[in-house]
Amino acid sequence: MSFFRINAVPNRTTALALSWSLFVAGTALYFWTSHQRHVENPEDRVVPSLSQMVKGMSDAALKPDEADEQEAGAENAPLWQRVHSSMLWKDTLASGKRFLWGLGLLFPAAIIGMHMALFPYVGTVFLRFILFFDKIIALSVLPILFIAFGIDELSKIMLIVIGVTPTVILDAFNLTKGVPPEQIVKGFTLGAGDFTVAYMVVLRQIWPRVLNSIRLNLKPVALFLFSGEMIASTDGLAYRIALLRRNLSMDVIIPYVLWVALLLFLVDFGMRLLNKRLHPWFREA
Amino acid sequence: MAVALRLLLSLVLVTGLTLPAFAQKPSFTVGWSVYVGWNPYYYMAKSGILRKWADKYGIAIKAQRFDYAASIDAFVAGNVDACVMTNMEALDLPAASGIDTTAVIVGDYSNGNDVVFARNGATFKTLAGKRVLLVQKTVSEYLFERGMVLNGMESQLKQVKLVNTSDSDIVTAYMSDASATGVVTWKPLASQVAKMKGVTSLFSSSQVPGEILDLAVVRTDVLNRADGSGQKFAKALTGAWYETMAQMSGPNADKVLTVVAEAGQDTLASYKEQLATTKLFYKPAEALEMTRSAGLKEKMALVRQFCFKHGLLGKNVASPDDVAIRYADGTVQGKKERVRLRFETSYMQLAGEGKL
Repeated sequence: MSFFRINAVPNRTTALALSWSLFVAGTALYFWTSHQRHVENPEDRVVPSLSQMVKGMSDAALKPDEADEQEAGAENAPLWQRVHSSMLWKDTLASGKRFLWGLGLLFPAAIIGMHMALFPYVGTVFLRFILFFDKIIALSVLPILFIAFGIDELSKIMLIVIGVTPTVILDAFNLTKGVPPEQIVKGFTLGAGDFTVAYMVVLRQIWPRVLNSIRLNLKPVALFLFSGEMIASTDGLAYRIALLRRNLSMDVIIPYVLWVALLLFLVDFGMRLLNKRLHPWFREA
Repeated sequence: MAVALRLLLSLVLVTGLTLPAFAQKPSFTVGWSVYVGWNPYYYMAKSGILRKWADKYGIAIKAQRFDYAASIDAFVAGNVDACVMTNMEALDLPAASGIDTTAVIVGDYSNGNDVVFARNGATFKTLAGKRVLLVQKTVSEYLFERGMVLNGMESQLKQVKLVNTSDSDIVTAYMSDASATGVVTWKPLASQVAKMKGVTSLFSSSQVPGEILDLAVVRTDVLNRADGSGQKFAKALTGAWYETMAQMSGPNADKVLTVVAEAGQDTLASYKEQLATTKLFYKPAEALEMTRSAGLKEKMALVRQFCFKHGLLGKNVASPDDVAIRYADGTVQGKKERVRLRFETSYMQLAGEGKL
């Protein structure tokens, strides 16, 4: 069987078919289950049918949020306006803002990591503490976070920061340590100062890998964001999912989850593209 | 392959050896979660009362502890045959998902267990524009709305900013965030909130007695199983429940209650404090009176309007009548052909007559 041959070369059509086969199988299994459950109970909400999900999602994306039905409400408003006042749009906006804040704060973290690896005094101050801090399960100290940062936006962003930055810092630290010391020495002999070496020699070459490391941490960022929103909030994608869960509205939850997956994929794809553009010489995935 | 086969074989042998008794007996699962009115299930299972009653009817019953939301999910998905929940959740979760649900035991009602608090002297009249922490779309929000309505502030409901807050963190969230004016929660969490400085209780479920009921519900299809085992299950469960109730109010009450409190990692004193604000129906007669009263219909009418208004009955439901409720006297609230929640008194009746 060519499945277990290292030297096998699948042709284009086979490769295409095989790469989609699990998607097809998963989707088929889902709709089969959904069908079975609907035969038994036509009002089943746990495994909604396609038409239920389409309706649920179009309501979410096109109808005004229940909180302010009186203000928008118009069925015949232009499409953009309807999307604009929909709960999906508002939730995405609210979550997106927090997500970008969390993501943005990972960049300074990478810089800190580089400084720790390069400047011995900075390293001695931070390294041990960050190694310890990295092992703290942020979610288990939530009450402390609440007391320190309130329960508003700040605490949600801090949850992301506390959860993800240590990883990024340590990764940037390791990447910096991986830069050959000869290059640094060479920089000095060519007359560069400390910061020129740090920013022009070291940072330049670790940057694509740092971007990659941040990209690989998108999932933890989203995870902490969702935890934060599920604990206390008034809007956001995870807030909506938490509410809908009480109501077993899987017909909206499943499209919401797919929407979040799409957004994450797009951010990931965008960062990959950016990395390629900025550093065409960088070949690692 | 050979290894897999041997594994399979040993598995078959092991299950065959250890579970011969279950193989013939119909077995049932009841899901419960930690709450003052449901903790007795812990004692019921631990003390052997449940097994005794199951044996009497020739069936096997397992009591499985869940988180509250998960227990209802399991009930709706069909993984448990019976479950404990409030009247509101019975209506807006299983019943509204098309699962025909029968309430066989009306265990208690919240008589002050659920509380609306506010700080800095705020009242219902001044809550507009302020933030209130609660678990949205649950009895907490129901209680809050009832409080607003009864204080003549219905028109201001939309002006209050509700913050959906997980019950596991609601106390610390309220404690640490002074910008949150109000909080709605239940005991034992409410007892912790009550101890905070500058916090007063605005409203509690004792002002709307009988509107937040705690039920034991069984899937109607299980109850109507052709072999009659579902009926036996309901009988055994009801019998075990009222024996537990008798012990909890009997001469050795403190000893029993200590074990019951253990269910929620609670102390006897704290559990007793919760019991004080819970109208637990120790005797079947009290539960029957409540379930047969005309008041129940009025209270359920309020609850179903709330559920409908908040879209909890489902997207395609055009009126609350589409999720109809059948009462003990046979009257139906809503469309007769769409009965989804039933109040069944025959088991409690049998318990009261000592015929179980």
